[in-house]
Amino acid sequence: MPDIKTRFSKWDILPIAAVAALALAVFLLFLPITEPAAQVEIYQGGNLLTTLPLDKDTIYTVTGAYTNIVTVKDGQVAVTQSNCPGGDCKNCGWSDTAGKSIVCLPNGLEVRVVAGNSNVDIVVR
Amino acid sequence: MTRTKKLTLCALLTALALGLSYAERFLPLQLLIPLPGIKLGLANVVTLVALCLLGKGCALGILTARCLLGSLFGGLSGLAFSLAGGLLSLGVMVLTAKAKGLSVYGISVLGAAAHNIAQILVAMGLMSTVFVAAYLPWLLLTAVVTGLLTGSICAGVLKILPKEKLL
Repeated sequence: MPDIKTRFSKWDILPIAAVAALALAVFLLFLPITEPAAQVEIYQGGNLLTTLPLDKDTIYTVTGAYTNIVTVKDGQVAVTQSNCPGGDCKNCGWSDTAGKSIVCLPNGLEVRVVAGNSNVDIVVR
Repeated sequence: MTRTKKLTLCALLTALALGLSYAERFLPLQLLIPLPGIKLGLANVVTLVALCLLGKGCALGILTARCLLGSLFGGLSGLAFSLAGGLLSLGVMVLTAKAKGLSVYGISVLGAAAHNIAQILVAMGLMSTVFVAAYLPWLLLTAVVTGLLTGSICAGVLKILPKEKLL
C-alpha cells in the first residue's frame, strides 16, 4: 500500500465538492415527490397495514417483533414510542413530507407520507 | 513485520474498533441532527489507520470481524447495514488511496459518503421502498463533516505512530 498523505492537500477539495454536488443532485431528483402530503401509509414487511389521514390526530399501534406507536398530530407523523433496539425510528422526529419515510428496521416498519386523497375537499395553501 | 505481530495488531485494532462503535452509541448525535442512523463513525478511524499501516487485507479482516462481533450487541439488521456500509466504504477508500493528490482527509470523506450511500441502499432494499432516499442529501452533507473528522483523527494517529515505528 503506497503511503497515504496525512496533511490536508488542495486536492481534497475535490471529494468534498463531489459529495456536496451529489447531495444536491439527489435532493433535486427527489424534489418532485416531496409535495404537500395528505396521508400516511403504514407498511410492515412491505404489506400495507393501514392508511391514515394527516389532518386527523390519531394514534396507531404496530405490533410484531417489536411494538411501535405511530402518532399523527397537527399534520405530522412520528414514531413516538418504540421498544426496538437502536430507536432510529424515534430519532427521525416528525415528518410531513412525502419522501421522508420513518423506518423501523427491526420491526420491518415503514411510515410513508404520501400526497393524495384525503377527507378534506380542498387544501388552501 | 512478523506474521504474529501483524495478527496481534489486527486483533488489538478489532477490539479497539468494537469498543469505539459501542462507546459512540452513548453520544446522542440524533438529538442535534434528526437523521436516522447518524453516527460519528469513530470505528472507521481504525479501518483507515489499518489501511494505511497494514494494508487492505488487514483492514478488510478487521472490518469484517468488527461487524460480525458487533452484531452480537446490535442485532442482525444492524449487521446488514454495518457490513454493507463498511465494505463499500473500504472499497472506495482502497481505490481512491491510489490517487496521488488525495490525503487521508479526502479519502475519508469519500469513504464516509460511500458508507452512507450503501446504508441507504440497504434500507431501500430491505424495506422495498424508494422513500428513504430523501434522507440521503442530508446524510451526505454530514458525511463530509464526519469524514473530515475521521481523517483528522487518523492523521493524528499516523503522526504518532508512523509505519516505521511498527516494524
